[in-house]
Amino acid sequence: MPAPLMSPAGGPPALWDPIIRLSHWALAIVVLVNAVLTRGGSALHVWVGWIGLGVLALRLIWGLVGTREARFSSFPPQPLAALRHLGELARGTPRQYGSHNPAGAMMVYALWGAMAVVMATGLVMTGGKTPVQVSQTQSVIESGDWTTLAIDDESGDDDSETDAGGKQGGLAHLAEELHEVAANLILFLAFLHVAGVFVESRVMRKNLTAAMLTGRSDNRGA
Amino acid sequence: MPVRAPITAERRQGIILVAFLVIQTLAAVFYIGDVFGDLAGHGVSAHLVVEALVTLALVLAIGFGAIRLRRTLDVLRAQEAALEVARGALGEVIDGQFGAWGLTPAERDVGMLALKGLDVAEIAEVRGAAQGTVRAQLTRIYSKAGVSGRAQFAAFFVEDLMGAGLHAKPAE
Ligand code: HEM
Ligand code: HEM
Repeated sequence: MPAPLMSPAGGPPALWDPIIRLSHWALAIVVLVNAVLTRGGSALHVWVGWIGLGVLALRLIWGLVGTREARFSSFPPQPLAALRHLGELARGTPRQYGSHNPAGAMMVYALWGAMAVVMATGLVMTGGKTPVQVSQTQSVIESGDWTTLAIDDESGDDDSETDAGGKQGGLAHLAEELHEVAANLILFLAFLHVAGVFVESRVMRKNLTAAMLTGRSDNRGA
Repeated sequence: MPVRAPITAERRQGIILVAFLVIQTLAAVFYIGDVFGDLAGHGVSAHLVVEALVTLALVLAIGFGAIRLRRTLDVLRAQEAALEVARGALGEVIDGQFGAWGLTPAERDVGMLALKGLDVAEIAEVRGAAQGTVRAQLTRIYSKAGVSGRAQFAAFFVEDLMGAGLHAKPAE
């Protein structure tokens, strides 16, 4: 096996592989756009959400067959090791790992998990309709024809609880609550995540963000 | 100074594979959504079966594409590692030769800077020394090496480099 692009001390890659970098920034943009810019439930919101769904799926496949540092086996979830790493970080003597450090790994799984919940509940709310269908339905409604609402059992609609039966309405309501909670959870975790990257970069004296972009600036010798 | 890896065939292939993978995955997600939508809406139909088969083919293609990309990236990284070794090896060759010529530590530094292409004024500035000192050091280096001047001095190592060959062999 080649020992690729590892920093000299055998730490994380000086440059993460292209699928990791692409999925990272795509997912970050998807989360921020849908949490801040688009109106929840709008066609654009659903479009962006589906793109996120595809990108997340690709990253998860890549976690099975991808490069060494991309594979789940390189950063298994280990809560105790994560706590130990935080302790080492506080003392300024963190160990080096070939992929995400144990604390980072827990964060990564939490972020992916919360994203999966948001996407799944989003799908429940829209009845699994593709963005194309959602756009169509909405433009029909906007043109003044409300019959689609009656025909479709629009589980995402607030009023549907009355006519679609208690069970459906309850599920839609639960999905809506979960969707909002998980979306806020992602934002909170992402804040911690960025803070963690910042702290780790300071302690390790290297630019971790550069490794997620294009640079390897200070990670290599010379 | 960052050394950019050249755009090799593998690198181009890697970029294309990444682009294909992303497009295929996005398409697959929409197809899968459509299949489930149709299944819920109209039940099983000929149209649905065809769509499901297309989706399955797409998913398989994604799997194979991902594995191909992994291989390509492995080759790319092996090439970079080989280049790194070549660079490191050249450094060792130079070090060894400087030792064989009996250069002092100061002369080694000056010799290395000269090989990197700095002129007398620049070397003097880097080392915080007078230009006369640097010129005297260079003269001693050339005489210890038995070369006539800077051009021959540099050529000494270039020859070595050509002999060793800089072929990046991808390790399997
Ligand atoms: C990471 C991606 C996403 C984020 C951060 C996000 C965030 C949000 C937020 C903050 C709301 C407002 C909740 C409220 O005010 O009740 C919302 C609403 C909504 N989202 Fe998302 N969302 C995401 C992905 C999705 C996806 C993938 C879908 C559908 C496939 C979706 C469908 C909806 C719907 C239908 C609503 C309207 C809920 C209602 O009826 O109030 N979202 N989303
Ligand atoms: C909403 C915003 C964000 C989300 C959801 C997010 C999510 C993630 C995820 C899932 C990973 C794991 C990557 C993988 O293995 O595929 C990761 C890693 C990483 N992220 Fe973010 N990220 C966000 C914002 C940022 C920002 C703004 C920065 C830079 C300042 C950043 C820097 C990094 C770095 C450096 C890593 C690698 C960590 C390591 O060294 O182990 N992220 N992020």
